[in-house]
Amino acid sequence: MAASIVFDNVSKRFGPVTAANNVSFTVEGGSFFSILGPSGCGKTTLLRMVAGFDTPDSGKIYIDGQDVTKLPPNQRPVNTVFQSYALFPHLSLRENIAFGLKIAKKDPSFIRQEVDKMLSLIQMEAIADKFPSQLSGGQRQRAAIARALVNRPKVLLLDEPISALDLKLRQKMLLELDLIHDEVGITFLYITHDQTEAMAVSDEIAVLHQGIVEQAGRPCELYESPKSSFVAAFIGDTNFLDGTVSTTGVEEYSQLHIEDFPEVLCYNDKKLSPGELIHLSVRPEKIRISLERPPEHTLHNCLQGTVEDVVYKGDHTKYWVRIGGHRLGVTQQHSRFLLDIKPIEWKDEVWVRWHADDGYILERYDAVDEKLVEAPSEKVGSIEDELEAAEEEAEQ
Amino acid sequence: MAHLSNQEVQLVRIFSRWIFYTSLLFLYLPVVVLTVSSFNASRFSGAWEGFSFSWYQKLFNEPTIWHALANSLLVATYSSLLATLLGLTSALAIHTYSSRLQKFHLGLLLTPLVMPDILMGICLLFLFISISLKLSLFTVFLAHTTFSISYVTMIIKTRLETIDPTILEAARDLGASSFSLFWKVVLPILSPAIIAGWLLAFTLSLDDFVITFFVVGPGATTLPVYIYSMMKFGAPPMINALSTLILLFTALITIVYYRIIEGKQIS
Amino acid sequence: MRRFREWLLTLPSFGWLLFFFFIPACIVYTFAFKQADITGTTLPGWSFNSILTLFEKQTLVLAWRTVWLCGITTLISIFIAIPMSLHMALSPPALQRKLLLLIMIPLWSSFIVRIFAWKIVLHPEGFVKGALVYFGLIEKSTPLLYNDLAILAVMVYSYFPFAILPLYSAASKFDFHLFEAAMDLGATWQRTFFTVYLPVMFPAILTAGLMVLIPAAGAYVIPEIVGGSGSEMLGNIIARRVLLNRNLPEASAFSLLLSALIFVPAVMISRWRTSQIKRYN
Repeated sequence: MAASIVFDNVSKRFGPVTAANNVSFTVEGGSFFSILGPSGCGKTTLLRMVAGFDTPDSGKIYIDGQDVTKLPPNQRPVNTVFQSYALFPHLSLRENIAFGLKIAKKDPSFIRQEVDKMLSLIQMEAIADKFPSQLSGGQRQRAAIARALVNRPKVLLLDEPISALDLKLRQKMLLELDLIHDEVGITFLYITHDQTEAMAVSDEIAVLHQGIVEQAGRPCELYESPKSSFVAAFIGDTNFLDGTVSTTGVEEYSQLHIEDFPEVLCYNDKKLSPGELIHLSVRPEKIRISLERPPEHTLHNCLQGTVEDVVYKGDHTKYWVRIGGHRLGVTQQHSRFLLDIKPIEWKDEVWVRWHADDGYILERYDAVDEKLVEAPSEKVGSIEDELEAAEEEAEQ
Repeated sequence: MAHLSNQEVQLVRIFSRWIFYTSLLFLYLPVVVLTVSSFNASRFSGAWEGFSFSWYQKLFNEPTIWHALANSLLVATYSSLLATLLGLTSALAIHTYSSRLQKFHLGLLLTPLVMPDILMGICLLFLFISISLKLSLFTVFLAHTTFSISYVTMIIKTRLETIDPTILEAARDLGASSFSLFWKVVLPILSPAIIAGWLLAFTLSLDDFVITFFVVGPGATTLPVYIYSMMKFGAPPMINALSTLILLFTALITIVYYRIIEGKQIS
Repeated sequence: MRRFREWLLTLPSFGWLLFFFFIPACIVYTFAFKQADITGTTLPGWSFNSILTLFEKQTLVLAWRTVWLCGITTLISIFIAIPMSLHMALSPPALQRKLLLLIMIPLWSSFIVRIFAWKIVLHPEGFVKGALVYFGLIEKSTPLLYNDLAILAVMVYSYFPFAILPLYSAASKFDFHLFEAAMDLGATWQRTFFTVYLPVMFPAILTAGLMVLIPAAGAYVIPEIVGGSGSEMLGNIIARRVLLNRNLPEASAFSLLLSALIFVPAVMISRWRTSQIKRYN
């Protein structure tokens, strides 16, 4: 009943830059689907192609089964909520919301009725005659959503709608968006670079990197089973370890040889054979840290190391443990305050362990993705490249 | 920057582009006709009788033109310098202080900008008559300075407003006194605007006709007044040559001016 | 100390303009209430006679001609300037600067020279006339010069760039996402242009109109050079009264009229504009 969106081998280039490279995926009707990726990855381009502001160089886009690839934006059954809201400054809130209905030549009493319904949905009936310049950021955002929704589009497109708001407001608006989605029931296509946002509200997420869909699926799938190093590092945080398969042993578990480590056990769902190169991703919260040697367990990997950095974050602490040539990030939640437990400090000798099931062998690995990992600098000036990259992003 | 790449929207661009270039053609047509006819050997602008520099040669041999040009340059130089000085002080005053006096001051500066030349010319003429000042090149100088001040003020004032005040705070924090703050920090930042203002004043003066016409005395002809009088009494083709040269000269000045303005936008 | 410094900085320009601008303006307006005598000086005492000449038939005809010529010039200038400024704003930044320069160069070049150029272009023996006759657009006897149409053409030519500057400034600040938003909601680009672009640009359009209206109202050289004997505007009358008739009071009276003609629309437009801006800001 609700409209699906299908991307079928969609490609788009802007000069030397490939914004979309044979992108194919399906958005289920009625779902809250997010396209997630860093700045410049092509996600806005995909949205614009669904809206009709850009045309794909090749491939097709279907909305509710209809091929809309070449349709102009004013003929598509979609409406967009723009990042800058794009409210008409010369029209009141009420007139803004009514805009699309007026163009569709709907009956004036019908328009008034629908606009009033929207105003009560966004709780702004009292200020319906104010102008956009008189509204706050959050109000403008709701106004933009109302203006789009009142037309009952089959699909609602949202282009980073809450990025202009500050943190606490963002969190609240996100939940409101979720509420609106549940109420209205239409397909939402949501664009963002913030992975916590996407994970919080989406039914499904597609992670986009340089025009390619790295992985698409439910949030927990992306988090727990990242297919590539990009997804592993972009969503949440992780440790990257490379090595080779040494033996394929018991059931689906294999021994991995990683330099400076004793043999590491890992769940080998990729069915790799001995000698093959692997890249292992282990999330920091899956690793346990302790001052005493933990008891033996067949499926646990235990290693010894030295604490190099301690970062206290209130609800948890992140430790950086040096083991040979590697630095492992380990987080520990502070769920209980135990006065007689000795806290772990800088330069302590510690034991770290994780379950063999918690290490994940990645299908694709790119050394550049290591830069995404939340690691402290090893020396002054080592973040030059990242600062430059951040500046460039800010300029765009 | 606008990112309108949809086909329908392209029609907007095509429509506006078409009007733009047609109008540009309209803007440059007389200029082109003028330039072309200055090389026309024929006395009458109708028929083309071959390429010739003769009018330019006659131009260089005509002493009255040189006299008028000299007058124009003299007045332009002095009036633009004085106007720039007065414009600088007024811009600084308006920007630094915000008293009622400055409100009047600003009003006084803005009004000439919205007054047509003829009214300006009349005002100045009546003044000179009232104080029995004989009309001469000096009165022209006074007039030109008067109308130029406002333009210089606006240019410098705009630039002043875009100076990041934290730069001045940083300088004070590092120990600068008010005086050295002005000389070493403000003035250098302001200098492109000052030069741009001076250029504008110079060009306005060189180019002015109506106001000059009202306050000019015998023997104190400026170039535009001279051209006008030649126009009224039949138009010897020399004017075409003269006009072409003037156009070239002002085109160069405009380019220089805009280079300066662009430069200051980058900083 | 601060007040002293302020006065020091303010006095040069303030004093200059007070003496050379403000006071002369007062002089001119007071002269309107005097009467000239035949020798070219003024009679002592006050009189309304000079002002009364404003109400003579010829004056009203003249004033009306000035009004409608200026009005049409302003309208045409705005009609040209709106798409032109839109084109500039939609162009890539580097091109925008060049386009601005292209518009500015003729504007900076000598006014007299450009009017003179038009005299050549519209000359009865000129090639423009020849081309138009050749294509059968006009008769050989139709004069291109020395009439109202010539004045209109040259005024539009001289003043429309003044309309471009404020419109370009506003167009470059226009959020073109509004175009996308409107189309997303179902509007065609034509509808968007009239229901979104023009309303938002309206304050700038009013400013542009004023930028053309003011110099146009005071036009003197243009009607003098390309206008005929029946095409005088207010500027010509003022000049004639001063330079030819030596009737300074009447010249002042006419100046008063001209000022009123400019001042009234200027204030109205300014008020209109402020009320528009209050809505969006």
